[in-house]
Amino acid sequence: MESQLVRLCIESACKSRESVERWRREKRSLERLPSQLADALLRRLLSRRLLFPSLLEVFKESVEEIDLRGQNSVDAEWIAYVGAFRYLRSLNVSDCHRLTNSALWPITGMTSLKELDLSRCLKVNDASIGHIVSISTLEKLYISETGISANGVKLLSSLKNLSVLDLGGLPVTDLALSSIQVLAKLQYLDLWGSEISNQGVCVLQMLPKLSSLNLAWTNVGNLPNLSSLECLNMSNCTIESVLEGDGDKAPLAKLVMSGATFVDESEAFLHIETSLMSYLDLSNSSLHRFCLLPRLKVLEHLDLSLTMIGDDAIQEIATVGANLRYLNLCKTKVSSAGIVILTGHVPNLEILLLSNTSVDDVALSYISLMHSLKDVDLSNTNIKGIIHHIGSETDPVPSLQALKSLRELKRLNLEQTHVMDAELFSVSGFQELTHLSLRNASLTDISLSYMSSLPKLTNLSIHDAVLTNWGLTSFQPPATLKSMDLRGCWLLTEDAILSFCRIHPQVEVRHEHVHVLPSDQLCSDRPSASRSPLNTTQQSQEDRKIRISPCFIDQRLKYTREELLGLQYSSLTPVTPHHVDIATSKMQLN
Amino acid sequence: MRKEDTVKLISAEGFEFVVHKDAAMVSQTIRNMLTSPGSFAETQHGEVTFPEISTTILEKICKYFYWNLEFASGKETEFHIEPELTLELMMAANYLHT
Repeated sequence: MESQLVRLCIESACKSRESVERWRREKRSLERLPSQLADALLRRLLSRRLLFPSLLEVFKESVEEIDLRGQNSVDAEWIAYVGAFRYLRSLNVSDCHRLTNSALWPITGMTSLKELDLSRCLKVNDASIGHIVSISTLEKLYISETGISANGVKLLSSLKNLSVLDLGGLPVTDLALSSIQVLAKLQYLDLWGSEISNQGVCVLQMLPKLSSLNLAWTNVGNLPNLSSLECLNMSNCTIESVLEGDGDKAPLAKLVMSGATFVDESEAFLHIETSLMSYLDLSNSSLHRFCLLPRLKVLEHLDLSLTMIGDDAIQEIATVGANLRYLNLCKTKVSSAGIVILTGHVPNLEILLLSNTSVDDVALSYISLMHSLKDVDLSNTNIKGIIHHIGSETDPVPSLQALKSLRELKRLNLEQTHVMDAELFSVSGFQELTHLSLRNASLTDISLSYMSSLPKLTNLSIHDAVLTNWGLTSFQPPATLKSMDLRGCWLLTEDAILSFCRIHPQVEVRHEHVHVLPSDQLCSDRPSASRSPLNTTQQSQEDRKIRISPCFIDQRLKYTREELLGLQYSSLTPVTPHHVDIATSKMQLN
Repeated sequence: MRKEDTVKLISAEGFEFVVHKDAAMVSQTIRNMLTSPGSFAETQHGEVTFPEISTTILEKICKYFYWNLEFASGKETEFHIEPELTLELMMAANYLHT
C-alpha cells in the first residue's frame, strides 16, 4: 500500500486546479514517476474532478492503468490522449455513453494494452471491431451491451491471447460462437442473453481451459460436459440436462440457476460432479425436490429463496450444514419447525435470511444456538418478541433476549414484525450490533432511546414509526453511529431533523423532508485559508453549518449574509448536482 | 544528542542532514539499512547517501520524519507540502517507504 507521505503528497497535488498547475510543468519528474504512483495520482485527480483531457498528456510515459468508468465527460478528445499512453495495460471506459466508433480510433494498435472494458458504451458497434482487433496483446475484453452484432463478434477470433471475453447482452449466434472456438486460452466467457442454442453451445467443448461460463437468459437447456468448468450460470434457462457426456467431470464449484425451470429435476443434476461445489443458487427456480442437497458435502453458500422448500426438506440441508456460511430461505414455506431441525448442524453459519417466512418466536431460542451468526434477517415474519405460554397464567416471556448469546451478531433486521417498544429493550443489550433495521407503525420514542446503549451501532433504520421531535432531540446516538434512516416517520419535522444534524454532524440522516450528509464526507474545496476572511476555528464552525444541505427552495433562507460571503470562496462540488445548481445561481445573483 | 543516537543523511549534492535515529527510522528503508545484521557501510558509520534525492527534497523528508513522530504522539498538525515538490517528494517517499 501507499505510504503515508505518498498519500499526503497526492492529497497536496490534488488540492485544487491551482496546485495541479504548479506541478504540471515538471515534465522530467512526471516521466520518471513509477507507474503505481502515477496510477494513484490519476485516480485521485479523477475522483476530485480535476482531470481534463490535456492534463492526461503528462501521464503518457508513466500510467499503466486508467479507469474512467461512468465518466460522462469522456469523449473522443480524452481517448486521443489515452491512445498515446505508451505503457497502458488496462483501459476501462465502461458506461462512458459519449464514446462513439470514431472516438475509439486512437486506441488502434496500442502495443501494451491487455485489458479493455467497453461495457454499455451504447454507440460502439461493429465499426469499432477493427480498432479492437488491432490490439493483438488483448487478454481481457468486455463488450457487453454495446451495439456490436454477431458479425462483429466473429472477427474477435483473431485475438488469440484472450482469456476473458464478456459478450453479455449481445445477439451472438451459433455461427458467431463457432468462429471464436479458436480462442484456446479462453477461461471466462459470458454469453448471457445471446441467441445460442443447444446445438451451438457444443463448440464450447473445443475450449480446453474454459472455467467460467454464463449462459443466463438463453435458450440453452442441454449443456454438454465441459471438462474444466468451475463456475456456471444458467439463470432463467429451461434446463434439461447439464454437463452430460464423456471425459473428465467438470470440477464445478459454483452453480447459479436462479429463476430456472427444470424439465426433469432428477435428470438435470444427474451428471454434475458435486464433491467440490461450494456455492449454489437455486432461488426462484421451479425446483420441487431437494434430493441434490445431501450430495453437496462442501457447500458454503446456499440460496433457496422463493423456492418450494418447506420444513420437510430442511433435513437435507442439515446433513450438509457443516461448512455452510450463507443460507437464504426468504419467501419460502419454512417455519420455526424447520429452524429447530437445523439447530446443531450449522456450526459455521454466518448469514441466515428468513424474511417473509412464517418463522415465529419459537425459532429465536434455536437461532441463538447457531453461534457463528453475524447477520440475521427476520423481517416480515411472525416474530413478536414475547412468548405467551398457552393456558398458563404466568407473564409472557421475552424471546429476543435469547439472541444475546450470539456474540458475533452484527446485523439484525426486524422490519415489519410484531415487535413493540417493550420487547426492543432486549435488543439494546446486543454489544456487537452494527446494523439494526426496524419498521413498525407502533414503535415510538422509547424504541429510539434504547438504541443509545448499542456501543457499536453504525447504521440504524427505523421506518414508519411514530417518533416525535422531542424523541429525536433527546436521543443520544452512540458515538459510532454513521447513518440513520427515518423515512416514513411522519411526525418528524424538518426543523427537528436539521437541529439533530447540527448537534451530531457525523450522522447521515435520511427522511422524506431532508437528506443530510455527514460533514466529513463532503470535501471542502476552499483553495486556501489565507483567502478566507474567517480564522480557522470560526471556519470549522461555519463549515458545519454550511455543509448541511436540505432541500431549501431558496438558499437565502438558509444562510446568513456572512455565511454566503464565506461560500463565495468554496468551489462547488458538494452533495448533489441539484444543490450545486441552486448555489451557483445564487452566487451569480450576488 | 550523542553521536550514536544520530544518523547522517547525505543528499545528491552532498549536503548533510544530521537527524535523530528515531526520526530516520520512520523510513522503513533506512530502518532496514541501520538494523540489518550484515556489515553495511551505513550501519557502521551511521551515514546514508542518497544520490537520487536532491537537497530540497531531503530537507523536506527530514521535516516529515519529525512531524511523523509528533503526529504519532498525538499532536495533530498539518504537514504542508508545496505543490511543486509533490512529484519528487512522492518518489522519494516511495523509495524510502515512509
